[in-house]
Amino acid sequence: MSGCERAGGAAWEVGYVVPSQSDAKVIVYEPQLCTGCRYCEVACAVWHCGRIDVAQSRIRILFDEARTAERYSAVNCQHCDDPICCAVCPPEALHKDEKTGWVMQNSSKCVGCEMCIVACPLSVPFFDAALNVAVKCDFCFGAPECVKHCSSGALRVVAREDAVRFNERLFLSAKEEQ
Amino acid sequence: MGIQATRIYRFDASGCNGCDIEVLEILALVPVAELGVEIVETPKEANVLLVTGGSNLKSKGELESAYAAIQEPRLVIAVGSCGATMGIFKGGYAMTGPIDAIVPVDLYIMGCPPRPQVILGALADALQLKVEGLETLLHTPQGFRGDPHVDQGKCIGCGACANVCPADAIEIVESGTERLVRFMRKDCIFCASCQEVCPTEAVELHAGDKAWFRKKDASMSEARLQRRPCLVCGTPFLPDAQMNWAMNRAEEKLELGTGDRSKLQRSLNICMQCRRNSIGEVREAKSLLASLASRASGSGARS
Repeated sequence: MSGCERAGGAAWEVGYVVPSQSDAKVIVYEPQLCTGCRYCEVACAVWHCGRIDVAQSRIRILFDEARTAERYSAVNCQHCDDPICCAVCPPEALHKDEKTGWVMQNSSKCVGCEMCIVACPLSVPFFDAALNVAVKCDFCFGAPECVKHCSSGALRVVAREDAVRFNERLFLSAKEEQ
Repeated sequence: MGIQATRIYRFDASGCNGCDIEVLEILALVPVAELGVEIVETPKEANVLLVTGGSNLKSKGELESAYAAIQEPRLVIAVGSCGATMGIFKGGYAMTGPIDAIVPVDLYIMGCPPRPQVILGALADALQLKVEGLETLLHTPQGFRGDPHVDQGKCIGCGACANVCPADAIEIVESGTERLVRFMRKDCIFCASCQEVCPTEAVELHAGDKAWFRKKDASMSEARLQRRPCLVCGTPFLPDAQMNWAMNRAEEKLELGTGDRSKLQRSLNICMQCRRNSIGEVREAKSLLASLASRASGSGARS
């Protein structure tokens, strides 16, 4: 099957409210709560492509049985403050939305140089061979499907400041303790 | 003269007639009769077959019999992109070409259609004719585009050109530790999309217009790039030059601390598969992004 069309329609059609600057939101992932059900992947793929094809999912859950601690992890867009993907994009197809804080992509500007895929440390964007462009998380224009379908509450939408604190605690302080 | 008394038989193998008109235009450029070239009416009299079009079900048999009828040594010249690739008719239900699938082709003249100057140049080359002032005729007129050339020094091998090329004329070949970017002569339509998207301006469409060749898979220009081996799995993934470009660009546009820089450099040494599939690497990447985010928000809070 070629092409990847959003099942729900555009943001204005499905009636999502685009938040203002004051309540810019980010998705956080808490590995301790994740059960590895991968409903988020399915929900993401269905919303973005209209079919259950987790290869098309913008979020990715990793599970490693061999590890003792932190057996779950997620590859999800952090919607960075200063996104590396936007910095390296030659045609400036990626931009940080001033209003909402989301890192959005203009597919018609994308030339498929894969620079964002290369530069993102998480390699969040991936190349969609059917569309010939890189695709990435678009926050579902305000109501992320992955969060809606996360039954364990591992994925949450929080305010940007809280997300920064949360990630600091999770990744920076823990690292120093080790 | 290479071939004694060149006698050309023109054969239209279901083309759009664009090339035929351009062939006719040669008459306006040079006195053809003085060159010792004769245009004949039947294949039996001819020794050169000048084919336009890409051959369809109706013309296939005719083309075969015309080829059988011409005198030895048989020289077949395919005019226009259709001869090598079927051009715009590629994939058509009635197409049986390209021409070289039916009869052996000695010379391809590219273009859709080729300029009459180019056809004349190609004929002069193949039949060893002496045409005065040919060099100036071959020069692409101002405002027109010639062959694309890739600058080996500037190319970073990202493949954007190959991705946007509407004619699939740019091949990316991965061979061992190398990536090869090849601009294929036979498919190029000189649209300059590659020049448009190239992030490093490595591709340029020159004024040169020597659009004929004898080997079908000849490339106009190519760049050879060294691929970087993955730090984790060891397999070569993307070109070194592309990674360096991304790193330089990130440094240019973002304020990176020394720790962040070395972490970003490390992540650029790891292939996408390893980055996305290992929890350890994901943790590394997220800690880098977290430190960038806290720096950004921290400085905001302090000020």
